[in-house]
This record gives sequence, C-alpha cells and structure tokens, in this order.
Amino acid sequence: MSMENKSPLVESLMAEMEELRRQLYEANETIEAIRTGQVDALVVQNESGHQLYTLRTADQTYRVFIETMTEGAVTLNQQGIILYANSQFALMISKPLTEIIGAPIKAFIEPATYAVYESLFHSCRVSGECRGEIELSTGGKPRPVQLSFTARDLEEGVSHSLIVTDLSGQKAVQKELALNNRELEQMNEKLEASNHDLQQFASIASHDLQEPLRKIQLFANLLRDRDSDGTGEKPAKPQLDKIINAAARMRALIIDVLNYSKLSAKDGHFVLTDLNKLIREISEDFELITQEKEARFSIGQLPLLEANPGQLRQVFQNLISNSLKFSRPGIPPLIQITASNIREKKFDSDELAYGDFCLLRIKDNGIGFDEKYTENIFALFERLHSKDAYEGTGIGLAITKKIVEKHGGLITARSKVNEGAEFQLILPLRQTP
Amino acid sequence: MLPKKILLAEDDADDRSFFFDFLTGRKDIARITAVENGEEVFSWLENIQDAAALPDIIVLDQNMPKKNGFQTLQGLKSNSRYRSIPVFMYSTYADENLAKKSLACGARLVLAKPFSPAGYHEMIDQIFDTLQVEADGV
Repeated sequence: MSMENKSPLVESLMAEMEELRRQLYEANETIEAIRTGQVDALVVQNESGHQLYTLRTADQTYRVFIETMTEGAVTLNQQGIILYANSQFALMISKPLTEIIGAPIKAFIEPATYAVYESLFHSCRVSGECRGEIELSTGGKPRPVQLSFTARDLEEGVSHSLIVTDLSGQKAVQKELALNNRELEQMNEKLEASNHDLQQFASIASHDLQEPLRKIQLFANLLRDRDSDGTGEKPAKPQLDKIINAAARMRALIIDVLNYSKLSAKDGHFVLTDLNKLIREISEDFELITQEKEARFSIGQLPLLEANPGQLRQVFQNLISNSLKFSRPGIPPLIQITASNIREKKFDSDELAYGDFCLLRIKDNGIGFDEKYTENIFALFERLHSKDAYEGTGIGLAITKKIVEKHGGLITARSKVNEGAEFQLILPLRQTP
Repeated sequence: MLPKKILLAEDDADDRSFFFDFLTGRKDIARITAVENGEEVFSWLENIQDAAALPDIIVLDQNMPKKNGFQTLQGLKSNSRYRSIPVFMYSTYADENLAKKSLACGARLVLAKPFSPAGYHEMIDQIFDTLQVEADGV
C-alpha cells in the first residue's frame, strides 16, 4: 500500500493519534513538573472558563522540606503498605526507594517490635496521633527509632503519615550518660567513704591523740611542782616547762586541725548577720590585749549579710588577732575595718550601692609581710615567722580562707614589709540555698 | 553542804589515781569510789542495800569499754532508784554533740579532763558550785 492510496480516514486517524500523543506528552510533562515541584497548579481553559487544578502534594516547599529533613517520612495506606517514603527513610534501612514504595512497612521492622508497631498503628486510628519506639531492620544492627503517627482521612481512605526519628545517637548518649552517672555514683561513694574516714580521724585525733598529751602535761606538772629533796629547789623546772609548753602546743595543733577538718562537714547554716555587732563583740573579747598594746580600732559602717555567724566570727577573730599579734614594737596597733558594696566578685570590681557582694578591708599598721608570700600565708601550717617570735599554729589563716570560700567569697592580702597588712574579703550578701 | 560521796567510772588507771591522789583530803569529799566501766557502775550500785549509802555524785568518763559514759547515763536516768543522783560527764575532748546529747539526757555538766592537779580541784569546785546553786534554787 502506497502513501497515495491512503484513505482520508486513515490520515485523519493518524493526525488524531499524533495530536493525542502530543497531549499525552504534555500531560506527562505537566505531571513531572508537579512531581518535581516546578509547578504548583495548572490552569485549564474550557467552556465554563478557567479551572484551577492542583495536587494535594504539589506544594514544593513541603516536598523539598520533607526530602531534606533529617527524619524519615513515610505515608502508609490502611493496609500498612508504603505509598511514599523520603530518601532519609531509605538511608535508615539501607534500601533503595524502588524496593520500599509499595512494600508493607512491616518488612522493614524488627519482628521483636512488631507488637509495638501494631498497637501504634491501631491506636493512631482512634486517637489520630500517637508515638512510640520501635526498631528498624537495617541488614545489620537494628536501628532504634521513634515513630510519630498521624492518621488522616483522605478521599481515597485513611492514610497514615509517619515521622521516623533515628534514636541511635540518642541511645548512645543515654548509654554514655548512664555510664557517667554510674561513675559519678562510685566517685560519690568513694568521697563519702573518705569523708567518713576524715571524720573518724577527727574523732581519733580529738580523743586518742589528746589523751597521751594530757598525761604528758599532767605528769610533767606533777614533776615540776614536786619539791623532791625538800630544799625548795626545783632543778628540772625549765626543762619541764618546755615539755609542758610543747604538749600544750601540740594540743592546740590537734584542736585546730580538728576544727579545720570539721569545716569540711556539711553545715551550711546561713542567717542574716550584722557585721557591726559581730565586730563590736569581737573587739570586746580582745579588750585585755587591746589595752595592753594601746591598740585603736576604726570601724566603718558594715553590712548585714547572710552568713554562718560562728564561722564569720572566727574569720574576724583570726584577722584581728593577727593584726594585734604582728604589730610593730613600740607602735600602738591601729586596725581599720571598712566595707563597700561591689558589682562583681572581683577585687577590681566597680563599687555599686546595690551590688550583690561586699568588699571588706581589714587594714593594720603592723610589721606586714612581703607580698610574694601571699599564697603561703593562707596555706595550712605555713608560717612566715618562727614560733618563738610569734605564737600560733599556722592554721588560723587556712581556716579563715576555708570559711570565706564556704561562704562563696574570696580573700587576699596586700602588704609591704613594715608598712602594715591589708586583708581584703569579698562576701556575697545573700547565700543561694 | 555535807561532805559528798563520789562514784567515779573511769577505765584509765592513771586517771583513777589522779582523782584519788589530788582530791583525797578535801573536806567536802567524804569518799571516792572508782569502778572501771559502766557495767561496774550498776553492779556496784546494786550491791548497796541502804539507800543512804548511795553516792551523792556520779562522775562518768565517756570513753570506756563495755558501757560508755553516755550509755551509763541513759541507764541511770531510766532507773527510778538512781535517777535523782546528779551525774557529771568528763572526757578528754568535750565533743559538742556528745555534750548536747548528754545534757539533754539529764547530765548536770559535761567537763573536759583537767591538765594539772589544780585543774582537778577546779573541776570539783565547779561540780560543787553547780550542786550548791541547785540546792539554793530549791
């Protein structure tokens, strides 16, 4: 059959087919455009005017969003068949999308968690929303995930939207956290045990170590005061005095160590304390030595602050007694105590009337010390002077520092040899419970 | 005040003899008896038939084997026959908690063990002063 012999019918059919083929191509193009998000809607002109066609899933923003989010997204039909899955979900189960779409989701769930999945699937149809944890099969180690189900009634029937959140990272963190917690608990136990040991030691120190010392003192006292040959001569008196003094000093050390160790125990009992009253009481306690040394006090307006009054009293007792002790020979001690409120817990902080901290300065005109020893003076048992020149156990400032720190404060000292010393304390006005 | 009969519970032999050596001869002390621990306090007291022969003062050391000072104090205060006898505790180191506990339990004073013969006399003076104040109060 030649072309010339073609009937007009065939020709018109061919033309029509060509036209349909073109329309089909256009329709496919359009669908593809919608699928890939290039087009959101179609406007078709027909006899009744313009008509707008959109697809429910035609929103490009959401589709891009779903494809790029780090969670898996899956749509299921009533039978649990996967209608849609994003590439993240495919990554989670290490399967190509072509194997996923159209397959029942249960094919990718660990059998051990079927029951959880089933109950989620059903309760979601009742409540509309629900979530739970299951495990996905990956071909290797099961992947723990959270499923967030939403059931939606569409014209085609109920469909389930699932957001699949990978929990492997979270589970690993949880595991690490649990491990850390266990370690922390063990460390706490050790700490408690060592605190207990310290308390035990304190108790032993207080009783058992002091007992032999007391005996030394008592027998030495007896010997010293015994008039051995009835002549009134007491030949060994100077040596026995030394034994008695050494024993007394040892006792003072033990008591100070005990007091220092007791500061470690929990006794954070803070009450509103008037520093003016506290300092007045302390200076009265020092009345004798004050008169003896002709010492003068100059005390400014001091704040009220939340503190442990007994401990704070010890702080100022130590500092004032140091100032009185380390006075220059022939020069009456002058002790100045001033306070100002400051903005921050820093020694160079700005003053601020309603600041949260107060800076206290305790300044004297005594022998002072070389500032290179500032760290040393706060250390346990550190002394800058021989105990023959100045008595003391070398624990006073260590206790002072520890108390200040227990109050959330800071302490430092400024001084020059023979030009007096100034102790600076920063204390919070209020204690956080 | 009439001279007093003192019962001392003290496990340390030196401390027992200090008590005797330094305090015997005081006009206000009629007799000192010493036992070695809390259990002996009760066995000794139980052997006394005549209530008038019971001690006027009991001094307890805290650290003793078998029954320590505080346990002995509790036992004495829960016994109707001995409850009214004034009890004084003494210890090398007068621990604050123990002192509070003992005073709450009915001890009259909690004292630190003396360091010298003079210290022993001061301690006994303090005990008698306390009793005197109480007697005057009544």
